[in-house]
Amino acid sequence: MAETPKQITLTIDGKTVTVPDGTTVLQACEKANSPVPFYCYHPGLSIAGNCRICLVEIVGTPKLQIACYTPAANGMVVNTTSDKTLSGRRDVLEFLLINHPLDCPVCDQAGECWLQDYYMQHGLYDPKFNETKQKKPKAVPIGPTVMLDAERCILCSRCVRFTDEISKTGELGIFNRGDHAEVGVQPGKELNNNYSGNVVDICPVGALTDRDFRFKCRVWYLGATNSVCTGCSRGCNIQIHYNRERQWRPHIANGERVMRLKPRYNPDVNKWWMCDEGRYGYKFIDENRLTQVQLRHQGAPKTATWDEGVDLIGATLKRLRDAKQLDQVGVVLSSHLTNEDLFVAKRLFAELGVRQVVFQRPKNGASDNFLLQADKSPNAKGAQALGIAESAEGLLEKAAKGQLKVLWVFTQDLSTIFGEAKIREAAKGLELLVFQGTNDHLTAQLAHVVLPSAVCAEKDGTLTNVDGRVQRIHAALGPWAQSRGDWEIMQDMAARLGVALSYPDAPAIFADLAAREPAFNGLSYQLIGDQGVLLKA
Amino acid sequence: MQPPATDVKRQEISPAQLKTLDASAQQILAKYEFPRAATLPLLRLVQERFGFINTAAEEWVAGLVGVAAVHIHEVVTFYTLFHQQPVGTYHIQVCQNIACALRGAEGCLASLSERLGITPGQTTPDGKFTLSAVECLCACEAGPVMQVNDQYVGPVSAQVIDALLKTPEALPELPVVFQGTVGLVEPVLSKRFNFKDSTLIETYVRDEGYQAARKAVAELTPDQVIAEVTKANLRGLGGAGFPTGKKWSFIPKESAKPKFLVVNADEGEPGTIKDRYIIARDPHRLIEGMIIAARATGCRKAYVYVRGEYAEPARILQQAIDEAYKYGFLGQHIFNTDASLEIVLHRGAGAYICGEETALLSSLEGGKGFPRLKPPFPAIAGLFGSPTVINNVETLACVPTILNKGGEWFAKLGYGKTGGMRLYSISGHIKKPGLYEASQGVTLRELIEAAGGVPEGRTLKAVIPGGISAKILRADEVGVRMDFDSLLAAGTMAGSAGIIVMDDSTCMLQALWYAAKFFAHESCGQCSPCREGTGWIFKIIDRIVKGQGRPQDLDILMGVASNMEGRTICVFADAAAWPVQSYISKFREEFELHVREKRCHLTPAPAREPLAVNVWSSR
Repeated sequence: MAETPKQITLTIDGKTVTVPDGTTVLQACEKANSPVPFYCYHPGLSIAGNCRICLVEIVGTPKLQIACYTPAANGMVVNTTSDKTLSGRRDVLEFLLINHPLDCPVCDQAGECWLQDYYMQHGLYDPKFNETKQKKPKAVPIGPTVMLDAERCILCSRCVRFTDEISKTGELGIFNRGDHAEVGVQPGKELNNNYSGNVVDICPVGALTDRDFRFKCRVWYLGATNSVCTGCSRGCNIQIHYNRERQWRPHIANGERVMRLKPRYNPDVNKWWMCDEGRYGYKFIDENRLTQVQLRHQGAPKTATWDEGVDLIGATLKRLRDAKQLDQVGVVLSSHLTNEDLFVAKRLFAELGVRQVVFQRPKNGASDNFLLQADKSPNAKGAQALGIAESAEGLLEKAAKGQLKVLWVFTQDLSTIFGEAKIREAAKGLELLVFQGTNDHLTAQLAHVVLPSAVCAEKDGTLTNVDGRVQRIHAALGPWAQSRGDWEIMQDMAARLGVALSYPDAPAIFADLAAREPAFNGLSYQLIGDQGVLLKA
Repeated sequence: MQPPATDVKRQEISPAQLKTLDASAQQILAKYEFPRAATLPLLRLVQERFGFINTAAEEWVAGLVGVAAVHIHEVVTFYTLFHQQPVGTYHIQVCQNIACALRGAEGCLASLSERLGITPGQTTPDGKFTLSAVECLCACEAGPVMQVNDQYVGPVSAQVIDALLKTPEALPELPVVFQGTVGLVEPVLSKRFNFKDSTLIETYVRDEGYQAARKAVAELTPDQVIAEVTKANLRGLGGAGFPTGKKWSFIPKESAKPKFLVVNADEGEPGTIKDRYIIARDPHRLIEGMIIAARATGCRKAYVYVRGEYAEPARILQQAIDEAYKYGFLGQHIFNTDASLEIVLHRGAGAYICGEETALLSSLEGGKGFPRLKPPFPAIAGLFGSPTVINNVETLACVPTILNKGGEWFAKLGYGKTGGMRLYSISGHIKKPGLYEASQGVTLRELIEAAGGVPEGRTLKAVIPGGISAKILRADEVGVRMDFDSLLAAGTMAGSAGIIVMDDSTCMLQALWYAAKFFAHESCGQCSPCREGTGWIFKIIDRIVKGQGRPQDLDILMGVASNMEGRTICVFADAAAWPVQSYISKFREEFELHVREKRCHLTPAPAREPLAVNVWSSR
């Protein structure tokens, strides 16, 4: 059993704080609610101690000490607000800014720049620099996703440490010395790894900006909603940053809603990081969406109302139920649906008496030994935990043999998984192919009825990641065009078929889910919070 | 019209060409515990063969030492001796630091530039000469000096430049300017400097060499050695003045990891020439000191980090090391005991900061010369994370004498809490520049007088007592003794005992300009106050020199200096601040005149008559 570390007590700005041995002064200051500014320090990286802005006065030590590196000691007295500390901080900030171009109006970082923030909090000096600033490379694309402005760089070396210690790809370095020092990639090389985008997140200034996000939207127009990345089964915690001024500024990014995804700290899942595949894989939210109910049942395709679509499916199912032919109905749920969606679907089809209900994962993709998972489903574990069988393959074969009349497919483009021929074959044998999903693709185009549904960014609910961690997602956006949430569509269907399902919202569904499903027993949104909870083993 | 200067045609080094170096590379790698430490020697190997280092070469080295190629590129760009472009057949590097500047280095560079038709940084169209301005080469006794490829040449005169342009392959050797002792009964460190064949082990053994080492290894316990050195009041002569016996006692007796002795021979403090004399004139004294230090601290492996520019001293030292192995003084079972000591000579690549002990370790490990956060101190976790004792060349060279003559004898030779004597480098406006040996208690005045004083017709104005970092002393302050504590009490420091003398023809603004240029050039760039502050200071001073000073500039300078002082990982920022603070506070009227009236108090400026033996003349 691990020993509990020794506790030490120190005084910070007159406040007594007790921390475990091995804590740095900086961490102790945060605990004492006397936060110290920092640039080069990052909790996920080694200590560099080079920016010097976290200097604090430690009583009995003549020189100011850097809080990020100095271990807290018993009886230590730290002043983070003394004149000595404040002038040290102000002086360091002035040094950091003398060669900085101060091009905030055209800088993408403006609004979330730590130079701006700290200048307002700790600077406010009369500038004394009257010389020519150092010239360094600007607007250099150092890789597919990242743009470098070496003049804005404060040489904190966070990005260099990231590519050394986290991505372990070693693309970045600091060249030359003195005030000629500059960050860069080796000549002829580029910053291109699965995690490149993180260097933009950890860059405290505008030196590394995101080529995807650059100049799309000023950050003060962004709204932020906590969510979970749906790019793979890892379930990295993220924030969805969307244009919350879209109504008044529709010109921004051609009216797209989601501007970028940013990782959100979760010590048990992704720490501070996320992969580029997930980070830049948000385009499907605003592109190529299914907007309206479509019917291709008889003759030419036509758009329809929700009532028309749901009525059509409802009538078909009712007929088959009455004819006791529900064994000719198949449902292919998706590992992209939330636990709540899956639970409502499970209940609906169980009460109807549809037995052939499976879920389908997307095709496996790239993976690495850090975050990126080959399984691209955000909620396959949830589907399993709800006891839903896996794979659409059997149902497709049955359909191809004419043994199915109705197949209801959710989200997935089955053609990318099983090949185009198989899907066309299956569709031919069916009386009714229903596709309920978010984006347009071959499976949707083959369907007789298309029901547009919401993407995860438009949903409240939970997803279960590869480790069985149930995590909350929140709706950052309203449903696109006429699309609706999946469980709402199914509840609508239930009403047509006389099945009693009437949940008011996702929390109500989850409460019932937690009560009925053994794997989820005892869980609640409160318990899940922002960091998620593991399913019972 | 000057002919347009062109770069030498861009060449490439192919992976196949690099492969031909594989065997040599393996020999280099075998010397080091950790492959990455071979980075600098491997880059040197490439450059010696191909003349420069390209991306393919960086990748080849990266593959051999096992780091990302970008970090090799960092190293190549950090050190001044590595070239990313080919240079001319003869690379002329002219010192433009203060000691040489006082002796006409500016005119020397201007003349070379005119004669070659290129500006510093360029190569002649025929690819024969590349001209560079460099910082202190630490041959200030022969200033103005230059380095042509590996060879030091000085004092540079019109005749020397003629010779260089005509027969660059046969240049005169640097003179040995050991000038004798001041007030000592007999020389200690310098005794053999003027001996014939003083570098050979035969003569060293003949002069009773290696007896102290034999005694330390075969007769004394480590504690006895440390006790003797402690009794001697020997202090670190690299400049910090830390008691050597105490430093050795910090090395843990028991260590799971191997312990290392590292010799700081990265002499770089402008105005300092002493370590070069010890290495080049009496290398076995250093080796003997190392054997004793290794015995006292339990080290079985030692590295000597020699500054990159010291090619000839490094060659001499390597030869001496090889001789010592042959005599059984190094290697296994030295002096027929169980003791062993391996010495590896490691060359730097041009970076003043590597004289800072933790920067030296970073460099020795194959990285940029970045000083490290402390603690841990090197005694606990230094080279490769092992307990490491780091001593300066001169410090170790004192040790054999301490064991031979006793700690008490050595302590008495000194003054106060500083035992023994010291090698003083004297340069600048002085009649007999060179190296002098004297007691720690000698006064600055005695040294200046021994060196003949300032040139005829001039009066003493100011003296830097301990290398360019030390605060300057006015002429009326030279009565101070030269030991660490006396100079500290006088508001300056003993530093490396590099004394730079300035007479009344010196413009203090100009002198400070040289110091500021040096620190801006040599800041490693790690900590923001130093990286930005050194450049800022230089830019302000440069602007005042150009007659664009503003009334507030002097206060800004003082402010910037004090704002960076004490706020960085190492003391480089402090060292950069001290000249600014002391020059301005002690000669404020001169600076104010420059700011207010845009002119020097020396108007018309006195003819800068060169003071070197072979006088430089521009026409």
